[in-house]
Amino acid sequence: MKLTRILIVSFLVVITSACSSSSSNTSTDATPNEVTLLAYDAFTPQEGIFDAFTAATGAKVKVVTGGDTGTLISKAILTAGNPEGDVLWGLDNTLLSRAQKAELLTSYEPVDTGDICVNYDKQWFASRNIAPPKSLEDLANPTYKNLLVTQDPVASSPGLGFLLGTIAHFGADNWQGYWKSLKANGVHVSPDWTTAYTIDFSGSSGKGKYPLVVSYGSSPPAEVLYAEKPIDTPPTAVIESTCFRQTEYVGALKGTRNPNNAKLLISYLLDVPFQESMPLSLFVFPVNKNATLPDLFTKFAVTPKNPLTLDPADIEKNRDTWLNSWRDIIL
Amino acid sequence: MAELMERHHPVSKTKTLLIAPVVFMSVFFVAPVTNSILRYFRFSEFGNVLGNHSLRGVAWFSMWQALISTLFTLVIALPATWALSRFTFPGVRLVRGVLTAPFVLPAVVVAAGVLAITDSRGVVPVIWAHVVFNMSVILRIVGPRWAMVNLRLEHAAATLGARPSRTFSLVVWPQISDAVISAATLVFIFCFTSFGVIAILGGVSRRTLESEIFTQAVRLGNTETATALAVLQAVIICTVIFIARQSSRPNSTSLHVSAPQPLRTKPRHRNTPLLISVTAVVIVASPLLATIYRSLVVNNQFSFSAWRTIFSGSLPALSVSPQLVITTSLVFAIIAACICVPLALLVVTTSAPRALFSLPLAISAATLGIGLIITFNTSPYAWRSERWFIPVIHAVIALPLVIRALEPAVRAIPTSFRNASATLGASPIATWRHVELPLLKPALLRATGLSMAISLGEFGATSFLSRSGSTTLPIAIAQLLGRPGVATQQAGFALAALMVLVTVGVMSRA
Repeated sequence: MKLTRILIVSFLVVITSACSSSSSNTSTDATPNEVTLLAYDAFTPQEGIFDAFTAATGAKVKVVTGGDTGTLISKAILTAGNPEGDVLWGLDNTLLSRAQKAELLTSYEPVDTGDICVNYDKQWFASRNIAPPKSLEDLANPTYKNLLVTQDPVASSPGLGFLLGTIAHFGADNWQGYWKSLKANGVHVSPDWTTAYTIDFSGSSGKGKYPLVVSYGSSPPAEVLYAEKPIDTPPTAVIESTCFRQTEYVGALKGTRNPNNAKLLISYLLDVPFQESMPLSLFVFPVNKNATLPDLFTKFAVTPKNPLTLDPADIEKNRDTWLNSWRDIIL
Repeated sequence: MAELMERHHPVSKTKTLLIAPVVFMSVFFVAPVTNSILRYFRFSEFGNVLGNHSLRGVAWFSMWQALISTLFTLVIALPATWALSRFTFPGVRLVRGVLTAPFVLPAVVVAAGVLAITDSRGVVPVIWAHVVFNMSVILRIVGPRWAMVNLRLEHAAATLGARPSRTFSLVVWPQISDAVISAATLVFIFCFTSFGVIAILGGVSRRTLESEIFTQAVRLGNTETATALAVLQAVIICTVIFIARQSSRPNSTSLHVSAPQPLRTKPRHRNTPLLISVTAVVIVASPLLATIYRSLVVNNQFSFSAWRTIFSGSLPALSVSPQLVITTSLVFAIIAACICVPLALLVVTTSAPRALFSLPLAISAATLGIGLIITFNTSPYAWRSERWFIPVIHAVIALPLVIRALEPAVRAIPTSFRNASATLGASPIATWRHVELPLLKPALLRATGLSMAISLGEFGATSFLSRSGSTTLPIAIAQLLGRPGVATQQAGFALAALMVLVTVGVMSRA
């Protein structure tokens, strides 16, 4: 029968190709003129942005992605000493201490910042003649009953940022009371950002039931840039006083075979050209003071003057306790 | 059952053939999982987990929601299986395609569809989504078997005065029961380890063991707690598989038929199969239609722009072009099927230790993922970020399901055929090629479709592996839906809708 032959031949082909590709590839692992940047799935740098780096140093940049930030850190810790890459992109201040404790990195520096803020659906409030909330306190006000959707802080990084923001604002002893009043006011908790923003939120593609959502300070410009039809102003806006500052770090992984290239790549990531490419490709703000922001960002993105923030060491020390008491209140 | 196989295939050359699947499983599954468990399993932590009230609650919820989901799936899927494997009517292939397609879809897509219709969260939407996902498991495993049940036996029973219910319980059920039990076991395991559906539709307070394993391993970095939970989950699943095997053993009789029955074109009660099919299609297709709707309609306006983007444009939210994502996924699916189907065939036609090949069902994707990255990390086995590694792991994950899809059909071939062929002077290989293989062809095609489907939809282990440029469809969809901007999200739904359409196409041919 034909079928047998096809099956046997294809099986052999696959096995041999697998073997040959493995033997040819083991050597590339230690190629000196390559540097591997390990990043979360959402890391989508501007096309060709690393060409200048290769031209200047002769080293090719290989971007390797694997999971979200949490997965990335967990994997980096599991593979400590024998890392999957040379440079790690995407640790944030809520997870930094975990990496420090595991002694993952030989060096690290802040590379970008962003804010986690409550966004609102402008049209929803305008059409009902209701003023959008202005503060965290407002969110617990009966005027805004059953309007807010946030994310599970255990599973979602904006969810965690929002919880940490409330802790920064109300203090380690009083935030629980605030969350009890949020619960009484009908806050809805979604498992992740995608569900909250694209399904539950009324202001984006999903047309859900909730006109208030926990998202990013850069979400409004993203709505303009990726609108289905060109629009001048975003359909959403940010409540500035609710913003929690998230800082992302880039670091050289311990055990890298290319410490020199790793160092070069990190300084390239902190240099003006790359920093200026970040807002429109990664929707984060540069840390380099010499980098200028694109128009879209100066117009529609919010950079709060005094964002809520917490010390990474504080976060690491209390994260589990806070998450557990949050679960006790909400679940 | 092992004795049964021996009786069918006493030839010793089968022993040598067995080496391939056993080596494959040992290298790509047993070694990494063992490595991960040896490194992170602590008896003390296992004790803590068993003593933890809230974690016991998680295990209990996983169990009862899975039982109820399995019952509902059977109630809806079995009549549909009967209708589709016994009768033919215009569009029967399309119906089969629609009913089997959701299996490959990312949970967020089906869940968004269900949510658009129910508008609420809780156990009911979860069960609905589980029925939608698992309909195909029953259809694919029970379907080929039911098609082989000799119609003449039923006619004889009817002629002798048996009512349809009696004919079913005395004639049909004994011949299909082991396939049904095998399929129901799988459905139970899938619902028990459900992750995405529970997260989106169950609300935050609903957790399964699988979602808790991910939370502990990935979010909280408690690898030891995660491993203890994974071992607990494996023990429960192995127990279920064992019980199911025990209860299916007495019924496994060889079928008294020669080949798949020609489908009847004019049933007596013409409307019943049609009605059953329509009901099943409505239940399954509505969330799929919601996906297609969301890829085409934005702000109450119809537009093909998202579809144009995925076929010819590029998306800033993806590091590679959507066209490359589609190609990558298809190539991976084909490679995975080329590895998986021949191995599965070797396993079912020889006296392989079945337990070994059921193991991937019991092991959490997180455990396998962790095992892979800590095992294949040194030269010459530094495969963890190799491109070919992904379809190989897809084949590992698909293997237990493909074996189950093939097994009933292989066991249904009567010994007498083989004996007759041998008596007439045919060599065992000639017998296999000219007698057994033609009989197995429909089951093999379906197994290939199933393997490709699993590869296309696999998310858990793949998302754990690091990739450079080799983004698969479910990961691309998750990335697109995970970004603000209506156009980005619409492209995500268009990719999901494309998956629906491709799978409906593939499944209606297989």
